[in-house]
Amino acid sequence: MNLNPMEQFAIKPVLIQDPLFHIAGHPIYFTNQALLMVIVAVASALFLTFAVKPNRLVPTRGQSMAEMSYEFVANMIHTATGQDGLKFFPFVFTLFIFVLCSNFFGMVPGSFTVTSQIAVTLALACLVVGMVIVVGFMKHGIGFLKLFVPHAPWYLLVLLIPIEVISFLTRPISLSVRLFANMLAGHTMLAVFAGFVVSLGTAGGIFMGVALAPLLLIVAIMLLELLVAFLQAYVFAILTCIYLNEALHLHDHH
Amino acid sequence: MTTPDPDRLSELGKKLDKIQTRQEQGARRAPPSQSNIAFRFATELVASLIVGGGLGWGIDWLFGHFGFHTRPAFLILFFVLGAAAGIRNVMRAATEINAEIAKPRSDKENGS
Repeated sequence: MNLNPMEQFAIKPVLIQDPLFHIAGHPIYFTNQALLMVIVAVASALFLTFAVKPNRLVPTRGQSMAEMSYEFVANMIHTATGQDGLKFFPFVFTLFIFVLCSNFFGMVPGSFTVTSQIAVTLALACLVVGMVIVVGFMKHGIGFLKLFVPHAPWYLLVLLIPIEVISFLTRPISLSVRLFANMLAGHTMLAVFAGFVVSLGTAGGIFMGVALAPLLLIVAIMLLELLVAFLQAYVFAILTCIYLNEALHLHDHH
Repeated sequence: MTTPDPDRLSELGKKLDKIQTRQEQGARRAPPSQSNIAFRFATELVASLIVGGGLGWGIDWLFGHFGFHTRPAFLILFFVLGAAAGIRNVMRAATEINAEIAKPRSDKENGS
């Protein structure tokens, strides 16, 4: 039995063992990560479509879940960016639901956590920051660059502008690392404690009884991880809103 | 269907109002937990250092291509700038969190 706690993050081809196609000589496989992303996207799209289909006045459980998530994200965008931020509702909602469902699907034992791969979270974060840059330039034209010019005398600006630029470029990194590290740490911790159960259980004698302790701990950590899964999706979405707000309103909230 | 008793209806309305105000006050965002704040600050700092250092390294590499041997100079300069940006980010995050905690408990006041 393999007790390596990092084993669960291994990316390997599934269903089709041969590469699908090649890009510049690199084989492209259909991996477990791709499979999970497809499952997450399809499942969440189907759920949200069919949950609101009956459209009852008194909602069913599914419908009320869909409506609550809609209201939750709409509220979040409204408080963070104001009325004109609601244009970006589809974008933020899609991101939030995708991250949330990836985190929750990852909690199913034996499945794979898409958001524990930095490739995925970094791509999502770059999408967000790219969106912010495009929106900023579309709204303010070249004036968007004022975002990098704080109110300060000119001799300090020489120093402050590079700092502001670096601080802006930090966003995709900190946004992606926060999500990725939280998921990675949580799932590693679960696997480590599961390893304790197995090795204590096979040790025999008095250790069999002791094995119960990490087993109970896993249940507690599992609950904690469910909280983290939601919280990280929320943090990802709210930071997207905050960044969009800056692009939309530049400095005027100060 | 029988006509509803107006007294009971208004009573129900009052009950619903009470629940709604309680939800608006109680279910508001709790301040982020200590470990979350700490983790956020740590990532901001480390990410800025990585970006700053990477940027400096890249500039050195670019200059090296054109025959200017600046190798450690920009790396050092941008690493320091990255540290400054990291502290800037942490301060910004701190003001954000402070604003979130101090925010009046209603969207209607500061919304739109």
